[in-house]
Amino acid sequence: MLNHTPDAIELVDYIDDGEKARHYQFRLRNITSQATTYDWQSAQPGQFFMLNVPSIGEAAFTFTEPPNEQGEFRALIRQMGKLTHTLFTLPKGEILGARGPFGHGWPLEEIIGKNIIIIAGGCGLAPLVNLINGLIDNLADDQRVVLVYGAQSKRAQLLSPERERWQAHIKIYNTLNEIKDQYTLAENESQGTPLDIIDTAMSAFTKPPATALLCGPEIMMYRAAKQLVNKGMTNDAIFLAIERRMHCAVGLCGHCYLHEHYVCKKGPTFSWQELQSLV
Amino acid sequence: MCADLVKTICPFCGVGCGMCLKINEQGQLLSVEPQQNHPISQGKLCEKGWSTPYAINTNERITQPLKRINKKFYPISWQEALTTIACELTSIIDESGSQTVGIISSARASNEDNYAAQKFARAVLKTNNIDHCARICHSPTVAGLKQSLGSGAMTNSAKDIFDTDLILVFGADPTENHSILGGHIMQAHAQGTELIVVDPRVTRLAKLTSMHLQLKLGSNIALINALLHVIIKEQWFDKNFISSRTQGFEQLALHVKDITPESVESITGVSAELIRTTARAYSQAKRAMIFYGMGITQYVSGTNNVISLANLALSCGHIGKVGTGVNPLRGQNNVQGACDMGCLPNVFPGYQGVAELESQEKFSNAWGAKIAQQPGLTSLGMTKAAQSGDFHALLLFGEDPVVTDPDQNHVKSSLKNLDLLVVAELTMTETAKLADIILPAASFAEKDGTFTNCERRVQKVNQALAPRGEAKGDWQWLQALAKQMGSQLLNWQNSEEVFNEMASLTPDYQAMTYQKISDNSGLQWPCTFDAPEGTSILHQQSFPIGRARFICVNHVDIDEPIDDLFPLLLTTNRLHFHYGCGSMTRKSPLLERETPPGLLFINPIDAQALDITHQAPVSIKSRRGYVETRAMLSDDVPVGLVAMPYHFKEAPSNQLTNTAQDPVTKMPELKACAVAVTPLAKGQPPKTIQQLQGEQ
Amino acid sequence: MEIYLLDNLDLLQQHLLIQHQLYQVIEDDNGQCSWQQQTKEGNAPLIAKLPQSSAKDFFFAEHENLLIFNGEYFQETLPKPAPFVLFGALSCDLTAISYQDKFFKDDPYYQARRQHCLLVGLDCVRPCQQGFCPTVDAGPGVREQSADIILHPLENQQWLVITTSDKGSEAVKGLALSVAHWHLLTQRDLVLHQCEQDFPDNTYITQAIDKLNSGEIKDSFWQQLAVQCLGCSGCTTLCPTCSCYSTRSITVESEQKKVIKQQRFWDSCLYEGFQREASFHNPSSDAGKRVQRFWHHKFGNEFFTEFNRHGCVGCGRCEQTCPGVIGIHSVMKRINSDA
Repeated sequence: MLNHTPDAIELVDYIDDGEKARHYQFRLRNITSQATTYDWQSAQPGQFFMLNVPSIGEAAFTFTEPPNEQGEFRALIRQMGKLTHTLFTLPKGEILGARGPFGHGWPLEEIIGKNIIIIAGGCGLAPLVNLINGLIDNLADDQRVVLVYGAQSKRAQLLSPERERWQAHIKIYNTLNEIKDQYTLAENESQGTPLDIIDTAMSAFTKPPATALLCGPEIMMYRAAKQLVNKGMTNDAIFLAIERRMHCAVGLCGHCYLHEHYVCKKGPTFSWQELQSLV
Repeated sequence: MCADLVKTICPFCGVGCGMCLKINEQGQLLSVEPQQNHPISQGKLCEKGWSTPYAINTNERITQPLKRINKKFYPISWQEALTTIACELTSIIDESGSQTVGIISSARASNEDNYAAQKFARAVLKTNNIDHCARICHSPTVAGLKQSLGSGAMTNSAKDIFDTDLILVFGADPTENHSILGGHIMQAHAQGTELIVVDPRVTRLAKLTSMHLQLKLGSNIALINALLHVIIKEQWFDKNFISSRTQGFEQLALHVKDITPESVESITGVSAELIRTTARAYSQAKRAMIFYGMGITQYVSGTNNVISLANLALSCGHIGKVGTGVNPLRGQNNVQGACDMGCLPNVFPGYQGVAELESQEKFSNAWGAKIAQQPGLTSLGMTKAAQSGDFHALLLFGEDPVVTDPDQNHVKSSLKNLDLLVVAELTMTETAKLADIILPAASFAEKDGTFTNCERRVQKVNQALAPRGEAKGDWQWLQALAKQMGSQLLNWQNSEEVFNEMASLTPDYQAMTYQKISDNSGLQWPCTFDAPEGTSILHQQSFPIGRARFICVNHVDIDEPIDDLFPLLLTTNRLHFHYGCGSMTRKSPLLERETPPGLLFINPIDAQALDITHQAPVSIKSRRGYVETRAMLSDDVPVGLVAMPYHFKEAPSNQLTNTAQDPVTKMPELKACAVAVTPLAKGQPPKTIQQLQGEQ
Repeated sequence: MEIYLLDNLDLLQQHLLIQHQLYQVIEDDNGQCSWQQQTKEGNAPLIAKLPQSSAKDFFFAEHENLLIFNGEYFQETLPKPAPFVLFGALSCDLTAISYQDKFFKDDPYYQARRQHCLLVGLDCVRPCQQGFCPTVDAGPGVREQSADIILHPLENQQWLVITTSDKGSEAVKGLALSVAHWHLLTQRDLVLHQCEQDFPDNTYITQAIDKLNSGEIKDSFWQQLAVQCLGCSGCTTLCPTCSCYSTRSITVESEQKKVIKQQRFWDSCLYEGFQREASFHNPSSDAGKRVQRFWHHKFGNEFFTEFNRHGCVGCGRCEQTCPGVIGIHSVMKRINSDA
């Protein structure tokens, strides 16, 4: 039987990150009335969990760090609707709930040891953090990883400490949609969206990337996928993480439908090959 | 699981759909389902009807009397509440007279409640200060049709929609506001009935027909006069009907002689050709039916607009027969009934004039009491008098004038100026927040009684649940208050006794009983000893005033045109998900999810010029107020016109609306005022009016 | 499978009432048909009429508390129903229950109710007004795998009682039943076959289903149709296979403590807000897309593959309840003529 009941978690800490976004740290509590039925340790990069803010309800978020042995995990959360608005008012120590991990994450067999191009827009970087950390830890000598990260503005950029750390290991291109007049672009920055820099990013590979990972606004992802196909990548080598409203996360409530599929079960990661016929 | 199924009538709009309440073993309301064989709704409900349980079951119900001390409410006993109210009322009346107290009753409440309210006002408080929200929806209908036809109600029946050749929808958006009736119109149209829509906005019905006259705000009379011009010039009128049933046609013919379609093109924005086509279609149809709504009545020209429509129908003889008539779509479940019950300052039940000695004697004798003789104040009259300190106590139930009445700031300050405001409500509303005493009201599911729908059908409402907490039905607490004030005039044992007393004094309800109403799935008035089965079509043989009257009326410009400071016209509309002030529908998580709390429809061209994107936060300003909300880009509103629903207390359109009134009925011009729209900083959510006014 | 002959249905009802709560479809004076609980004192006659609301609420409750939060931890609140029987469910509704059994296979709340239910099906021997169950393989005769016991009316006021599951056989134990001759099954087949013949010609539905799956229908057709969708949720509420839901938190505060309940409640994919995210991004903001999805969910090949049947069981409730006149028959006709 499925379980709809969350495990209790504690809001341990948070740091502000970007505009109206926070990097939260939670810890699973072990005082649930029943033994947990969730296999938290199995969380894979790109999978998600349902955060329960008791007086409001539930919403889906991805792990930026999956639960460790102490049950601690992190998630990047942007203030958007009622639930996140309430969350942002809660103090450290507050008891919340979580269910997970759910869904299919990034296709690790297509990623490990291979040349990868990653394209992320805005909050779309969050589901990739865990993956990029893993990639960097196990980077093969001849493996090349390129990240294109687009943000609305300098202020809106997320995950600065992480990106700084990654900088030493992978090539990063940052795009900014809006820049202020007096601002001088840094060497790895350019004005525009990730779509404007894909060609440049592709030329950074001596051996073309085997896999592309995309996460961000849907229109941006679709356009990027088409661009990559034009650049010679195959449909089944491009993977996109899709966002949908979710209530149950177990394929019952119906909200996250994408044709005959439910994004919570079939996704959130789809290959461009699968997705093309669905959107 | 369902243990009992109670048949009743949907509590939302004036269509009066049949609904069954499913009750579980613990006596709780589980859900609703439509009545399969109801004469009007035939197994259908709209989104509001389906969501009824959320409104009734909400945790936010008021369950005991509350007394306000400063800004906080404290629970008190019924006895304390009644004593307080009775003392205050008595001392105010003793000091300042009966004309300084009054009641605003509710078009949401039953006939029994409304009958009790006006009796309480007239015989206990001794004042004719009794009114209700019909003032701001269909008072021009009552006044206009009364003059032209002699009776201010829908002339035909809902079922006629399937028995007509042409339907003319004038300033009404039935699929959104009277969904089931709107659905009937869609169905009839799909089956071949011609459909003509006259509306400044592209309504759902307008999208389904090639005949949409997208007129400019407030140009109804000009358009109708031009239609009459064509009909008369082309000899398309009904000679026999005019000569045998009407008077004043010659004057009308003379009046519209020079109002050619070409001459009104610029006022109406409708092409002369389309006016001619419409005149031909309407007049030449074998049977043609007019439906109209707030797009006719909520203007300074409201009463004349209604008269104009009557002129149109009379000229073609489209009245008094199946599939014809002039049919106002009434907004509230029992707004027809509240009017019938005499919850108006100028009439007793059954529209018997307060000023007429004969009626005064009739009611005084029947009630065995001296009654008020001075004419009463309208609801806006009462708030105005409160503002100037000439009115001191108001009892109000089932209405939220702070959200629904024009010029919110005026209403609020007036109500604050009262010495005593008593509000009976289901849940906390913006008006209730200002009350001195709040009384917990029973919902429609918790009481017996009757509602009269827009086609004059009196239907039985059956109690399915025990009242929540200490809640009481409206006539019951009025009875308790009367007793407290030493009056035994309201001492009925049950709703049926209230109804029977009312029916004995209201000629059109004369032959109705609860049993007969239930047996017949409702009875349409007039239901008299001469017509004991009721009447589905009015004016078949004659009009109550003998001959119907053609009355010449002239186009009047809207009161507040645009200018440089306020360059856009604002009109108000309704969303099909929500009802009135939203105090019931917004308790449904499903309906509440459909829209942000407040929105402004704006044409993409206007939006682009103002640098406004879809869902972006915007501010709207008029000469009277300022609100913030979200923009909805939509081609359904023409360039130059913006539209705002009035359901949302966070962004009330009535901060902005004009208070200029129809001289006859004091109906405010809610449908048109000049505004300025500006975008707010991106990412900054719109502030609610409560935040803007520092009330939080 | 065992076949019995029964003279008096009352005996079976009384027998089942010993161990079950018994629900049956009752028709009132105005022709309103609904599931109502029956007691030992008096049983209404069994009627083969479609209730306004299907039986799905018995298992997938319209409003249901899933769990509570006491401030420290979350606790599942599973229903614990007494054993009950749906006596005389029609084939279309039973087929829908089988469909939902599959969909909610792993849902503890659904199953907690479903496992306590005995399904007694009733064959329809005459077509109903809006129904077209034969077209979608859902009736008029009760399918063996969809009920525990099947009742079939015989001409002489007698009943054929067919037990089709262990649960069904168990339930009739102790009741004096005479074993029926197998030829009565053949007679039943003939009657049901005749009933199928009596249905009006519904080939336009089959044709429309083919067209729907051909990929030929333009977006503009769905948009035109969607002008008539008021988003009332009537179709999805009455549809016996619709299963979408939402969840919300309800805070119940008393003087001593505060408990937060999480409730799930029926939702409708035809609402504009169904898929809208907090960011206002809405993949199904176009009403045409929502209407299209609804009909694909009922008749699309992809779903047929998954459930081994259509998502529609041919009850016709949507046709009657849709204020916008875009229920099953109207839509299928328009697909044939306009799409």
